[in-house]
Amino acid sequence: MRTSLRIFFLGGLTSYRALFHWLTPWILIPTFVVGPIFQLLFFAYVGRAAGVGDDTFYLIGNAVELASIPCLFAMGNTIGNERYTQTLGLLLASPARRLPLFLGRALPVVVNGFAVSFLVLVLGALVLHVSIPVAAWAPLVAVLAVCAFSCTGLGLASAALALRVRETAVLSNIIMGVLIVFCGVNVAVSALPAWMQSVAQVLPLTHGIEAARELVAGASWAAVMPLVRDEALIGVVYGAIGMAMLFFFERESRRHATLELA
Amino acid sequence: MPVIEVEALTRRYTTRTGFRRRTRKDVEAVRGISFEVGRGELFGLLGPNGAGKTTTIKMLITLLLPTSGSARVLGHDVVAEPREVRRRIGYVFGGDKGLYERLSGLDNLRYFAELYGVPAREQGPRIGELLELVGLTGRERERVEGYSRGMRQRLHIARGLLHRPDVLFLDEPSIGIDPVGARELRQTVASLTSQGTTVLLTTHYMFEADELCDRIAVIAGGLIVAEGTPAELKSRVADGHVVEIEVFDGVGDRLDAVRAIPGVTSVGVEDGGHSQLLVVRTDAAATVTPAVLGRLDGLALGRVATREPTLEDAYVELVRQA
Amino acid sequence: MSTLRLVAVGWWLQLKMRSRSSFDGLLSIVYPMFFATTIFFMYRENGDEAALVSAAVGASCMGVWSAVSTTASTTLQGERRQGTLELLVGSPTSFSLVIVPATVSMATIGLWSLVATLLWGRVVFGIPISFDQPLVFVVAALVLAFSLGLVGFLQAVSSVRYRSAWALGSLFEFPVWLICGFLVPLSILPDWVRPISWLLPPTWGVAAVRDAALGGNAWPDIALCLLTGAAYAVIGVVLARRLVDSARVNATLALT
Repeated sequence: MRTSLRIFFLGGLTSYRALFHWLTPWILIPTFVVGPIFQLLFFAYVGRAAGVGDDTFYLIGNAVELASIPCLFAMGNTIGNERYTQTLGLLLASPARRLPLFLGRALPVVVNGFAVSFLVLVLGALVLHVSIPVAAWAPLVAVLAVCAFSCTGLGLASAALALRVRETAVLSNIIMGVLIVFCGVNVAVSALPAWMQSVAQVLPLTHGIEAARELVAGASWAAVMPLVRDEALIGVVYGAIGMAMLFFFERESRRHATLELA
Repeated sequence: MPVIEVEALTRRYTTRTGFRRRTRKDVEAVRGISFEVGRGELFGLLGPNGAGKTTTIKMLITLLLPTSGSARVLGHDVVAEPREVRRRIGYVFGGDKGLYERLSGLDNLRYFAELYGVPAREQGPRIGELLELVGLTGRERERVEGYSRGMRQRLHIARGLLHRPDVLFLDEPSIGIDPVGARELRQTVASLTSQGTTVLLTTHYMFEADELCDRIAVIAGGLIVAEGTPAELKSRVADGHVVEIEVFDGVGDRLDAVRAIPGVTSVGVEDGGHSQLLVVRTDAAATVTPAVLGRLDGLALGRVATREPTLEDAYVELVRQA
Repeated sequence: MSTLRLVAVGWWLQLKMRSRSSFDGLLSIVYPMFFATTIFFMYRENGDEAALVSAAVGASCMGVWSAVSTTASTTLQGERRQGTLELLVGSPTSFSLVIVPATVSMATIGLWSLVATLLWGRVVFGIPISFDQPLVFVVAALVLAFSLGLVGFLQAVSSVRYRSAWALGSLFEFPVWLICGFLVPLSILPDWVRPISWLLPPTWGVAAVRDAALGGNAWPDIALCLLTGAAYAVIGVVLARRLVDSARVNATLALT
C-alpha cells in the first residue's frame, strides 16, 4: 500500500513535470489564464449580441468546461509523450503496480483542471460583474472538482486511444470540440436536438454544469446531489474504460511485440 | 586569386545560463585561423568534434559573423557582402535533417531552385541532370520521409548544386551513412572538382580526407595545427614506421618503459575488447621492435606487425600535440 | 516577376505540406466548425433570421484566423527543428520572402474552413445566404486570408525567441475573435477596445466578407484590410531583418 501511494504521488508528479514543462509562467499564463478568460468573454459577448442567455449562464458553462484543457491535453500528452520518448515501454514493462501508476499520472491533471476552472470562475465573475451567492461557493467548488475528475477520466480514455491513433493533439482537440457543443456549455442542453441531448447524458460535464447552474440559482447541495453523483459516475466509467484499454494494449504488445512505441 | 581567403579568423560564443542570476560564459571556438583555397581545389578541414570546423564553415557561408579577422569567398567579404557570397556558394551538411519530409525530393529541389533564383526555364533540365548525378532518378516523386539516409544525403548534394555554385561547402557529409553510400558520395564529390567546382570539406574520417582532398588543414582546439597535402602530412609527423603489438594482459605499467626506448616517437594504446593494441611510432623499426618486445617480457602477446604510417597516425599525432 | 514566382511556388509547396498533416490540415477545418455549431445553436435559439445569417458569415471567417494564429508562432521553430532554417537564411533570397508564403499558406488552409462552415450552416442549419455579390465575396475572402497571412508573418518572426511559442496560439485566437467583429458588433464592446480593433486587419476583412455576402459596399473594407495587413508586413520585414542579423551575431539559427 505504501509503495502504491509513493508510485501514485511521486510517479505522477515527476512525469508531469518532466514531460510537460507546464510549470513555467510562459506556458501557464497563455494556456491556463489568458486563453480561457478570453474564451469566456467571447461566448459571453456572443450571447449578449445574440440576446440569448445571461452572463452567469456563460460564466458557469465555460468555467466548468475549461477544466478540459488540462484534463484532455495534459492527460493525452502525458501518455502520448511517454510513447514519444519511448518511456512507455519501460513503464508498461516495469514491475510497479500499474493502477496506482496511471492514476498517479492522473492526479496532478485533476488538480490542474480544477485550478483552471476555479480561476476562470473567480476572474470571470469579477470581469463580467456576476455575483454568485456566498452560500453557493462551497458546493460550487466541490462541483468543479468533480467535473475536473470526470473530465480527466475521459482524458485517460482518450490518452489510451491516442496510443493507437498517434495524433494525440488532434484527438484531444476534437473531443474538446464535442464537449463544447454537446454539454450545455453555451447552449442549454434542452435547446439541442433530441439525439444530441441523449449523447450529452453520457458525456462528462453535462451533469456538473447543470448542477453548478442550479447552485448559483439558489438550489441546495441536497437538491443537486443526484447530478453530482452521475457526473462522478461518468468519470469513473471513462477512467475504467481508459485503464482497460491501456491494459489491453500492454498485453497485446507483450504478446505480439507490436505496440508502436516509437 | 584564391577562391577562399581566410585571415586570422576568430569566433567566440557567449552563452548565458541561469534565469535569475545570469552568468556569462565565453567559449573561443575558432582562435585565429588563416588559409587559402585555390580554384578547383578540394580542401579538407580535418579535426575532432568541437575543433571549430563547423563554426569556420558557418562563418564562410555567412550564417555566423566572425568575432575578428576576415574571410572572403570569390573576392566577396562574408560580413559586408553576404548576398553576393550566398548566390555563388552551395552548402550541404551531414545527417538526415534539412529537408522537407512531407514533400517529394523533386519538390524539395524545386523550392530551393526558387530560393536560389534558378531561372524557371532552366529548372527542369537542371533538376533532371542533378537527379541523374546523385542517382535519384526515378525516386524523385516519393516523399522524403520514406528516403534512406544515403538517399537524403544525395538529395542534399543535389540541393546544394542547383544554382551551379562555384564553391561547395560540405560539412561532414558522410556522417551516419553506410560504407557503400559513403563511397558513392566520395565519387560524386570527386567528380565535382573535376568539373572545376571548388570544394571545402570538413570531416573526421581520415580515409575520406586522404582519398579526396588535394590539401588538408588539421584543426584542433580552434587552431590549425598543420596544413599540407595528405602525403606531406603523413611524412611530417612520422617518416618512420608504426609497430603494432597485440597484448592480452594489462599493459599500462609498461608504457613509460616503452616510451623511454631511444627512437620511439610516441606510444598509444587502443582497446580491442579482449586484447589491447600497443601502437608504437618510431623512425627505426628494425632496432626498436626487439627492444619493445623486451620491455613487454612476461606478458601474453599476440600479433606483431610493422607498417607504413597512415594519415590517421599523422592526425592522431597532430591532435595529440595540439 | 521571379519574386512573384518565388512567392507562388513557396506558397504552393507550403500548402502541400500542411495539407498532408492531419494537425494543420484536417483539424484547422474541423475545429472551428465546433465553435460555429455552438454559435448557430445560440442564434437559432434567438430566432432572428437576419442575425443568424450574419453570424454564419462571421463564424465562417473564424477558421481563417484559427488556422493562422495557432500555427504561425511555431513556424520558425519547426523549420529550425527540421534543420531547414539555416538553409533558408543562407539562401540569397530575403528571409521575409521565404516566410510570408508560409504564413499565407496557413491562412489559405483556413479558407477551406470558411467554405466548410458556410456549407455546414446551409445544409445542417438551413441558413440561407444570398451572396449578393459572389465575385466581390471571393475577392474579400482572398484578401482576408492574405492579410491574415501577413499578420501571421509578424507573429511568426516576433515569437521565434519564445521557447514555448506553441502556447501563444491560444493567446491570440479568442481575443481576436472577440474584438474584431467576427460575431460581436464593435458597438457593444467597451469604447476603449474600438481603436485596437481598428488596427487589426481581421476587423476590416470580416466586415468586407460580410458586406459582400449580405449586400453592402465591401470595397472600402477590402482596401483597409489590405492596408492594415501591409503595415503588419512592413513591421514584420524589419523584425525579420533584425532577427537574421542577430542570429548571425549570436549563433541562434541552429538548434544547438
